[in-house]
Amino acid sequence: MSDNPLLRGVRGERHLLLGNEAIVRGALEAGVHMISCYPGTPSSEVPDTFYRLGGDGRYRMEYSVNEKVAMEVAAGAALGGAMSLVTMKHVGLNVAADPLFTSVYTGLPGGMVVLTADDPGCHSSQNEQDNRTYARFAMLPCFEPATAQEAKDMTREAFRVARELQQPVMLRTTTRISHLRGAVEFDDLPEPQPKVPFTREPGRFVPVPAVALRRHEALTGIMEKARRFAESSRFTTVREAPAPTRLGIIASGVARDYLADALVAGGWETKAHVLELGMTWPLPEERIGTFLRTCDRVLVLEEGAPLLEHDIRALAQRLGITTQMEGKDDGLTGLAEYSTTLVMRRLASWLNLPCPAKPVRPIDKGLPGRPPNLCPGCSHRAVYYAARQVFGDTAIYSSDIGCYTLGLLPPLRTADFLVCMGSSISAGSGFARASGNQVVAFIGDSTFFHSGMTGLANAVFNQHDIILVILDNGTTAMTGHQPNPGMLQEKLGTDNTHMDIASIVQAMGVTQCTKVRAYNVRAVIKALEAMKGQKGVRVLIAEEPCVLYARRALKKVSPQVAEVAQQNSEAMRCLEQLACPAFYRDGDNLAVDSSLCSGCMVCLQVAPTAFKARKRQGGN
Amino acid sequence: MNAAHNKRMRIFFTGVGGQGTLTATTLLARTALDAGLDVVAGEVHGMAQRGGVVESVILLGGWRSPKLDLGEADVLLGFEPLETLRALPYLQPGGSVFSSSDMLPPISVSLGKASYPLMAHIEEMTRQVAGQYHFIPCRELGAKAGSEQSGNTVLLSAVCASGLLPFGVNALKTAITKHLPHRLQEVNLKALELGCAFLAER
Repeated sequence: MSDNPLLRGVRGERHLLLGNEAIVRGALEAGVHMISCYPGTPSSEVPDTFYRLGGDGRYRMEYSVNEKVAMEVAAGAALGGAMSLVTMKHVGLNVAADPLFTSVYTGLPGGMVVLTADDPGCHSSQNEQDNRTYARFAMLPCFEPATAQEAKDMTREAFRVARELQQPVMLRTTTRISHLRGAVEFDDLPEPQPKVPFTREPGRFVPVPAVALRRHEALTGIMEKARRFAESSRFTTVREAPAPTRLGIIASGVARDYLADALVAGGWETKAHVLELGMTWPLPEERIGTFLRTCDRVLVLEEGAPLLEHDIRALAQRLGITTQMEGKDDGLTGLAEYSTTLVMRRLASWLNLPCPAKPVRPIDKGLPGRPPNLCPGCSHRAVYYAARQVFGDTAIYSSDIGCYTLGLLPPLRTADFLVCMGSSISAGSGFARASGNQVVAFIGDSTFFHSGMTGLANAVFNQHDIILVILDNGTTAMTGHQPNPGMLQEKLGTDNTHMDIASIVQAMGVTQCTKVRAYNVRAVIKALEAMKGQKGVRVLIAEEPCVLYARRALKKVSPQVAEVAQQNSEAMRCLEQLACPAFYRDGDNLAVDSSLCSGCMVCLQVAPTAFKARKRQGGN
Repeated sequence: MNAAHNKRMRIFFTGVGGQGTLTATTLLARTALDAGLDVVAGEVHGMAQRGGVVESVILLGGWRSPKLDLGEADVLLGFEPLETLRALPYLQPGGSVFSSSDMLPPISVSLGKASYPLMAHIEEMTRQVAGQYHFIPCRELGAKAGSEQSGNTVLLSAVCASGLLPFGVNALKTAITKHLPHRLQEVNLKALELGCAFLAER
C-alpha cells in the first residue's frame, strides 16, 4: 500500500505537485483503469508516477515498446470498456498517429485520453512541433492546462468528455506546464469507473471503406457536440476589464500565464477584456464571436503555431465581424517559447504605451559552457572511441535517439546524421546504398525495441550493407531508467518478460552477429575490424549497464578507480581522444578526479602506460 | 495575511546537474506553501541535466509564469559561481544574489581548453548589478555540518535569514523536519544554523 497523497489524499487537501503529478491525480479522480506509454521528456513523470505508486489494484500500467503500440493498447482497452490514458512526448504522437486517426472514426466506448507533452524551445527534443494541430487534423477535443491545479482538473474533465462522447480526447501540455510545481487542491477519489460492456458492432468498429465514410460523417456531429461542451466549459472564461474598453485579448496554454504576469507587471489590468481558452478544440465559436463583437481590436496570444489566430480570423470572416485582429507579428513568432517580458513588449506596442520592461545586458556567450556530456564511465564513450579507432573519418555514423546521441560531440564525433527514433538502421541503409559509404549505425536497446527492429528486418530483407552497433545498457537511460524488454528479468520482476536482443537479431536472419562487453575496448575493436571489410548486415551488440543505473538500481560500484601512473604522451592522447569528464588538467599534468571516476578502467586500456588502478577510498 | 505575505517575488536558481538544485527548489517551494503563500515553481528535466546547467524558478505572491526572462528575478540563488555569473542577466538591477563560492569547473576548463573566470571578476560583475550579494563557502560549511551536500541548505538558510522573503528561517526549519527524510534532518538543521551564522557575521 502506498501512502502517497496522490493515492490517499482526500477532498480539500492541498499538495505541491509537479504538473505531471497533477495529471496523475486527475486521472485517478476520473477513475482511470489502464495507462500505457512510451517515456519521453517532458511527459515521463506521468507514467513513472503511476509505476511508482503501483495503484493498489486500481489500475494497470505498462511501459509499451513504442507510442503506436501504447496507443493501440490504450485504444483496445477503451474498446474493451476501460477508461484509458496513453502518454507520450510530442514527437511520439507522430509514431502513434495511425491508430489515433482511425480510433476517432470508430470511437472508443470506455473513453481514452491522449497526453501529448510538447516541447517548445526544444529543451530535449529534435523539433518543436505544435500538437494542437493534431486535434484539428484528427478531429478530437483538446484541453490545455496552464497551472498545476488545471493539470489535475482538466485531466479529470478530459476523461469525463472522453467517456461521454465515447471518443479520444487530447490533453496537451508543454514543457513548462509538465514541469512546473504548484498547489493542487484535491477532489474526491472515487473507485475506478464502471467499465462499458463491449457490444459487437462491426458496422462501427471495423472501418472498412463504407463504414469509415459513415463514421467520418458521424464524427462531424460528435465534434459539434464537443463544441457545445467548450461553449459551456468552466475553462472558457471571460474577464471583463473594470473600465470601459473596446480592446480584447484571447489567450491559451502557457501564454495565459505570461499574459497574467505581463498585465500585472505593466499595470495594464484595466486596459483590455480577456478571453481565456482552456478547452481549445473545438473552439467555442459562439463565445468567441460574442467576445469579438465587444471589441474593436483583438490580440491573440498563443505559444507555437498560429492556430488559434488563424481559426479566429476565419471565424470572424465567416461571422462578418470586422474586429481588427493581431497575433504572431511585431515581435511574436511561432519559434521557441514566449516569456512575460516578450508578451509585455507586444502588449505595450499593441496598447500604444511605453514598455516598463528595462533593457538588460545579454548572457555572456564568452563564458566556458557546460554542454551536456556522456557521464564518466558511460560505456557509449568506450564503444565510440573504439569505432573511431577502427573507422576514423572513413565511415559515416548514423545516430539515433538516446543519451548516445551525445556522441556527436568532439572528440568522439560519432553522429553524422539523425532523423528520428529507430532511424539509425533504416536511414543508414538508404545512405549506404546511395553513397556507397561504409555506414556505422548506433542504436540503444530501448530504441531498438521501439522501432529499430523493423529497420533491421528491412535491412536484412533488402540486403543493405550496414554495420549496426546496438549499445545495450540494459535500460531506458535518458528518460530515467524505465523498463524495456531488454532489461534483466530480475529487474523486470514478475509483470514483464525479458527478451534477448541477440536471439532477435539472429532470428531476423543476421548471420554476422557478435556480442561483446562494451568496456572491453580490445574486443570491441577486434569485432569491428572483423566486420569492416564484409558485406551485408553486420550487428555488434555492446553490452554494459548504464553507469548510473548500475550504481542506483544494481548497486554495483567498482572497487577501483583510475589514477595517473605516468605523465606521458599516451596520457595526453587519452585526454584528447577519450575526454572522460573525470579527467582534469592540473597545470601541465593530467589527473583523474576520483570522486567522478566510475572505475570503468577504459583509460587503462586506451593508455596502459599512463594509468593504473588503485583501490577506491571509502568516501569516493 | 500581512502586506509582506502578498509581496510578489521571483527567485531564479542556477547550478550544475547533480548538485541537487531541483531538490533545493522543491524544499523552498514547500516552505512557501506551508507558510500559506501562493507559490509556483518551474524547472526543466531531461537532457539538460547530463552535466549541464540546471535552472529553476520559484514565484511567490501570485506570479504565474513558470519561466523567467532576463531582468525578471528579484533574487538569484547560485549553487556554483560560474553559473551565478552566467545567470546575472536574469537579475533585475538592484536585486539580491546568494551564491556558493565553490567552483565546479566545466569540462572545457578541466581539459585546459578554456579558463575559469577569476572569483574577483565574478564578484565585481555581481557588484555592478546587485543591490546586495553574498558568496558563501557552502561546501565547507556543509561539510562542517556533516555532509557537503547539505551546503545547499546553507544557501537556502542564508536567503531565508536575509529577511528578503516573506518568510524566515523558522519556516525553513519546519519544512526540513516535515519534508526531508528523518536521517537527513539533523545535518540539514545544523547546516541551516551555519548558514544563518555566516550571514549574521557579515
